[in-house]
Order: sequence, then structure tokens, then C-alpha cells
Amino acid sequence: MAGLEFKALHKTYGSVPVIKGVDLSVDHGEFVVFVGPSGCGKSTLLRMIAGLEDITSGELWIGDKLCNDVEPRDRGIAMVFQSYALYPHMTVYDNVGFGLKLARTDKAERDRKIRDAARILQMEALLDRKPSQLSGGQRQRVAIGRAIVRQPEVFLFDEPLSNLDAALRVDMRMELAKLHQDLGATMIYVTHDQVEAMTLADKIVVLNGGVVQQVGAPIDLYQRPANLFVAGFIGSPKMNFAEVTVQSIDGTMATVTSKDISSVSVAADTSRMSVGDTLTLGVRPHHLTLDASGTLVGGVSLVERLGNETNVSLKLPSGATWLVVLDGDHNLRGSQALQLAVDSSTVVLFDKTGQSLLAPR
Amino acid sequence: MKRRASIIGGVAAIAGSFVVFVIPFIFIILMAFKDKPQSALRDFSWPQGFHLWDNLVQVVTTRNWMMITAFINSALITVISVTLLVVLAAMVGFVLARRKTRMNGLIEFLILAGLMIPPAVVPTIWLMQGLKLFGTLHGMILIEVAYNLPFSIILYRAFVATIPRDLDEAAIIDGARPLDVFFRIILPMLWPVTVTNIVVQSVGIFNDFTNPLYYLPGNQNATVQLTLYNFQSQYNTSYNLLFTNILLITVPPLIVFLFFNRQIVAGMTAGAVKG
Amino acid sequence: MASAPTTARSRPSTYPVWFFLPAAIIYSALFLAPTFASLYFSLTRWTLFNSVFIGFENFAQFFREPFLIQGLMNTVMYAVVTSSLKVVLGMGLALLLTSNIIARGYLRSVVFFPVLVSTVGVGITFTVLMHPTQGMINQGLALIGIKGPGWLTDPRLALYSVALVDVWKGVGLATVIYIAGLVAIPRDYYEAARIDGATAWQNFWHVTLPLSRPATATVITLSFIGGLRTFDLIWAMTKGGPGFASDTVASVIYKQYQAGFYGLSTAGNVVLFVLIGIIVVPLTMFLNRKQGHE
Repeated sequence: MAGLEFKALHKTYGSVPVIKGVDLSVDHGEFVVFVGPSGCGKSTLLRMIAGLEDITSGELWIGDKLCNDVEPRDRGIAMVFQSYALYPHMTVYDNVGFGLKLARTDKAERDRKIRDAARILQMEALLDRKPSQLSGGQRQRVAIGRAIVRQPEVFLFDEPLSNLDAALRVDMRMELAKLHQDLGATMIYVTHDQVEAMTLADKIVVLNGGVVQQVGAPIDLYQRPANLFVAGFIGSPKMNFAEVTVQSIDGTMATVTSKDISSVSVAADTSRMSVGDTLTLGVRPHHLTLDASGTLVGGVSLVERLGNETNVSLKLPSGATWLVVLDGDHNLRGSQALQLAVDSSTVVLFDKTGQSLLAPR
Repeated sequence: MKRRASIIGGVAAIAGSFVVFVIPFIFIILMAFKDKPQSALRDFSWPQGFHLWDNLVQVVTTRNWMMITAFINSALITVISVTLLVVLAAMVGFVLARRKTRMNGLIEFLILAGLMIPPAVVPTIWLMQGLKLFGTLHGMILIEVAYNLPFSIILYRAFVATIPRDLDEAAIIDGARPLDVFFRIILPMLWPVTVTNIVVQSVGIFNDFTNPLYYLPGNQNATVQLTLYNFQSQYNTSYNLLFTNILLITVPPLIVFLFFNRQIVAGMTAGAVKG
Repeated sequence: MASAPTTARSRPSTYPVWFFLPAAIIYSALFLAPTFASLYFSLTRWTLFNSVFIGFENFAQFFREPFLIQGLMNTVMYAVVTSSLKVVLGMGLALLLTSNIIARGYLRSVVFFPVLVSTVGVGITFTVLMHPTQGMINQGLALIGIKGPGWLTDPRLALYSVALVDVWKGVGLATVIYIAGLVAIPRDYYEAARIDGATAWQNFWHVTLPLSRPATATVITLSFIGGLRTFDLIWAMTKGGPGFASDTVASVIYKQYQAGFYGLSTAGNVVLFVLIGIIVVPLTMFLNRKQGHE
């Protein structure tokens, strides 16, 4: 049984800090996804777990072992690289079996384990080939096979699907989910693709600038973002933001207004605001609907008709541009004025420091 | 139209290259087939009678089979120094490409210096005498290693730089110990550049004349190049034997050329472009 | 350093520094140490057993004795002649051998093979071929009514005759370097030039020549260093003669060594090394600067 525990992990290169104090605990068997923009430190964090990067300060526990100074091979981990990193001079069979060979596993045992892994991944026919004779998807399988065969407590994936084409990526995503179910091991997965994060994760860790922004179940992050960064990062297309002023407060409801929105009442943590405050309002493009009595008015500047939905760029009176996703097909013309209703139950308010003001549940 | 022009050009090029580059070799071969009186004329003529075998026997048996000793010496020097060069240069090239430290600048400067600066001969002899290496085969081997290291290191470093670091890391995760990464992952992958290195350095060391001349005096240690040089003064009337000797020492590079032409060209151009 | 790592880096590295060690020992002992030692011994009168410090006397002698000055001039001339011929002929041959000419494989092999042949063997062969009366070259010239010169016996000519043989042996290397450079030029440039209506000459002047500059830099640098250091061919063909007419610094070093003037010989080494430094370093910098400009 191996969960992970990070205590105040820090990493600096020379004098440049890249991981600035990460605390996190991962339960055994959890599928955890690290997301964030490039350079946020998610890969560095993964490599610190693997033992490929030193830990500058803090503690890394894998299971009940303090692993800061433990060799990668003794950490009970396996890793799948973005580039697959298959050894080009070895056959698939030897690639998968290399770790076992180094561990001096006896030959029959090794053969059995390699063939088991090959069967799980349906690549028995490929065992005698060299990596150069494989397609991208096949290489991916071999890389995963190399990880499985070590029977690790923790699997580490570094953007494993980013080199595959879109269709294959969807297939492999599903296979990974199934693999997680079958093996029941802890998996830590780094990606910048939020669809992968939303679909695979039990728990998402959003990182930015070497700091954890929020940890939670995918749907929580979508519905209850902790701050402006998470709100903007999770969900596609991006959340729309506008500056608003608090008009009145009534119990847990705050009514806000701006140049563009005549007035909206939002459930929020009203204890942390007062009338007259300037806040940021966020609303997702999908939560705006055509409504002749709506509180939002704007001019159409660009329309993308996808058939099942229509993406509209809306020019607001303040000059800001919002994106609206309307259900079904709408034949809209440029500069046409639209009146929209804001679904106030999905609106999130943020204070000046960017922290969200969600009503307590 | 174009086709005919290219054929005419081709024929002209073949004729020109034949006169300039092939005839000297044919001359060598013809001379090696002649007997002593005819070879003394030094003209481009058909040999009267087949004397190659006699000439060969005479060249090989002269001065107590010195030619055989020389071939053995040259072979030993070439094989051992090339083996050392491959292993040592691959080790340096690997760490130099992977580990970025402040030392790298200095090391690269020393490598470039080694490619450009001619060795200081007499101080080297003086040092080798102190180390009891002067005039010995193993001393000669170490000299060839020292002088040819920079080129081999440059070849290896450039090649290691093209191997993704992910492979090292995958091996570490797989449980490879430090030396496993080099010997089980990197070294096997370096095979193409190792072939190039072996071929290019073998030809160079086998053909080396200047360094054995300085560091390997004395007949019992002579290399084939030295033997040929000594024959020149000894046989200045027996051109048939002189050219038989030349023919003999041209055979090893010819064999290498026939089998490894591509690797030689690749190595010389790659090393040159980097150097 | 901002923060001291709490983890001691005591694990053995995957990239061990001791990998440098065997190579470093051999290289330092047999190349670097003698090179540094030469700086001192060039300032001495030296018998290998003891040395007397005499300041710059050896260097003064080097620039006083006419035959030594001639050796210096010869070295530079030899390097200039061989490297410029190798650039021009190498480029020409490479252009020929990358065009769709017949028997390309044969031609490439024939041009390249001399690179691999023993220099001493080549030297001896051409010494025979260049004999003023019995040599095949002059006999061939006589057939078409030209009286060939005394290639190696005429003091004004000897050095350049050796240089020609050097070019004969070395042009193959220049050619393959140029071929590698030419092949690397993307076809797009020629197609763009063709659409712009460039003539073959304009093609060469505005596309091929500038884009093969890295190859030119390599050929010049390599053959220049080779030319300045040249010894074996000269020694096999003329031994610096007639007189001192084809002596170079490298052959002077050997002659002084044979004569037992070890200090003077070592001073020759230092001169050669300074010569290479003051010519080749600026030359490479110039070539690379231009290259960065393209």
C-alpha cells in the first residue's frame, strides 16, 4: 500500500526557486493529475517523486518511507516519459525486460512477467521488433509495458499522450483509465491538457509558479474554483471576467452591477465584502443564454457555427469582449445586438487578491 | 540535349581523373611487377615478365624479415591505440555532453588546442625518457592515444548530444546503476560513431610517419612507414623493391576503403565540420 | 547559493567525473606537459641532461639565420598555396560530383582514395615521377612538346612541387567536406532562384557560395593548420632541399633535433605554435563571424 505525502517540498536551481513549498497527500490507488501552464513546475514535481531531481528542502514520503535520498530504483515507482524513451538498440522484449534484468530476476520469471505485461497491453506480436519499427501508439504501449512489468506502487506519467494524434489520444486515455481500474495502483499524471485532467483524475492538482493553487475533484474545480487562476485555467472555452461593484448585500446574497450587467444577485460569502467594493465576476461561456429580458447586452463581433453549438464573440458596452456558447445552431449576423441572461447560480465572485468568495456549502 | 552534355562532361571527367589520380597508382603497380634493370628506367611501360612474387619475397625477407616485424609493430600500435581511443574518448565525450559544469569551457579549449597545436617534440622525448617510454611500443601507443584523443572526443560528444537524456533517466528508473547507463545504454548506441572512429583513426595511425620517426627510433621497433622510408635510401637503385614496398603498405588502407568508405567519409566530414 | 541543499549529494553520479581521468592523464602527460615545458626549454641551451638559460637567444637566432627565416616564409607560403588550391579545386570537384554526371561513384572514390594512402609512399612515388629527365611527368610533357622543369631540383620550384603533391593527396578530403556542405543546402533556394530567373553563374554566386560557407571555413582551417604543420611529405620528397629551398619550420625542428640543438629545435616548436596561433585563431574567428552573418 503506498500513498504519497509531500511536506513543504522546495526545489531551487541555483538561486531560482521552481517549487515553492508544496504540501499534498495522495491516497493509495488514487489517480492524481498535475495540471498547469508550461513552466509551472508540474514536471519538476513529478521528477522529484521519481528521484530524477534532488529535493532542496522538505520531505517526500512514499508509503511509509522517507524517500528524499532513496535511489529511484528503490522507490517502488515506474515512469512513462513523454518521448517514451525506448532504448533504440533493444527489441521490445528487451526494453520491457531491462529493469528486471538489472534487478537480476531469473530468466523464467522475467519471461513470464514480460509476456504478462505484453498480454495486458495487447502487444504480444510486437515483442521481437525494435522501437524504430513501431508506430507512435505502439511505442506508447511499450513504454507503459516497461512500467507495468516493474509492478510499482506508484506510476508516474509525464505528458504521456502529447505525442499522439488526436484520435489515438482519446483511445489511449480510455485505456489508461481502464489500466488504473485493473491495477489499482497509485498513478500520478502530468499534463497540460485539461480534458485529460478532467476525464482521468480522481483528484486534480492545479499548479502555477511552483505553488499549488487548488486540489480537488475535477467537478469541484470546475464549479468552485479557489481563485481567478484556477477559474481561468479549468474549463474550455475560458471563463469570462468583468469588474463589478457590490450594490447591496442581503444575507448570503450579494447584488452586483457594472457597466455591462445591469444587476445580478449571487450567492456568495458575504462576510468578506461590503457594499461599494470592487470585485471580479466570473461566468462561463456556457452559462449565458439568449433571453429578451436578460441583464447583459452586447454586439455580435464574430460567430463560429459548429452545428450543435454556436460560439459568439460579444462586444460589451465597456469595450470588453466576452465569449458566449449557445446551444444549437443560431444564424447570427455581425453587429447584431444580443440580450442575454446570466445563470446567477453559476456565477463566481472574486475579491481584489483573486480569491473566490464562494458561499460556504 | 542535357543528357548528352552530361555524358560528354562525364567522359571528360573520367579521362581527367584517370590521368591525375589513377595513373600514379598504375605506375606503382607496374613498377612492382618489373625486375631491377627495367624498373631503373622509371618509365611507364609494360613489365617484361612477372616479377611481383620475387620482389615480394625479397622485400619481406630483407634484413632478417624486418618487414614482418614492422607489420606486426604497426598492427599492434594501431589496434591497441585505437581500442584505447574508442573507450577513453567515449567516456569523455559522454560525460562532457551530459554534465554541464564550469570545467567544460576549459576542457573544450584543451581539446581545440590539441587539434591545432603541433606537439613539442624534444620536450616530449625528454619526458618519455624520464618515464621510460621513449623508443618503446607502449610509449608509441600512448603517444598516438594522446595526439588523437581530441578528434575522437569531438566525434563522440557530438553524437552523445543527439541521444535524448530521457533514455538515461528511463534507465535510472529501471534500476540502472551509474556504470550501467554508460555501458548498457549509451555505449551500444554509439556503435555507428565507434565504427567511424575505428576506421578513421586506424588509417591515420597506420599511416603515421612523423611520430614513429621521433619517438620510435631503432630498427627492431620500426613501423611499416619507417621501413619504407629507410628502404628509400637503401634501395635507391632497386626501384622494383621500393615500389613493391609501397604497394604492400597501400593494401591495408585499400581494404579499409573498400569496406568502410561511407564511414570514413562520414567521420572525416563530421569531425571536420565540428572542429 | 541561496539555500544549502538539505540532501547530501553523496550518491554516485550517472555522469562520473572520473570518466575524464584516464584520458586526462595520458593527454596531460604526453601532450600538455611537454607543450608547457617547451615554453621554458625554448629559452635554454639544452642537452636533455642539463639546460642553461640563455633568454631569447634561440629565437633571436631563428630570426637572424637566413635559412631559418626562409623556412618560416616557406611554411606560410606552403600553407597559403595548399589551402587555397584545396578550396578552389575542392569546391569545383564537389560541384562536379554533385551534378548528375555519369560514373559519379567511381569519380568520388578515385578523388578520395589518395587521402587514405601513406604520405611517405605518395612522396616517394612522386619523387620518381617528378624526376627532371627520367620522370614520367616530364616525359609525358615532352610528348606534347613541352620541356618540363626540374620539379624538385629547381630551388624556386621545389616547395611548390611538394605543395602540388600535397594538394593531389588532400583535395579528396576538401571535396567530401564540400559535398557534405552542398548536399545540405535545401533545394528550395535553387527553386526560388530559378523562379526568379537566375542564371547558372548567379546561382553559384548568390546561393551555392554563401550557403557553403561553413564548409569553406572548415576546409580553410583544416588545410591551413595541416599546411603549417606539414613535415612528412617534405621529408619524404626533398628533405628541405635543394639547399634550404623547401625547408619548413617542421623540417627545421627535425634537423635541429638531429643535430643535437635541442633548445633551438624547441624554440622552433614555439615559433610554429605562435605562428598557428596568430594566423589560425583570427582566421577561424573571421570565418565564423561571416558565417553567423548569413
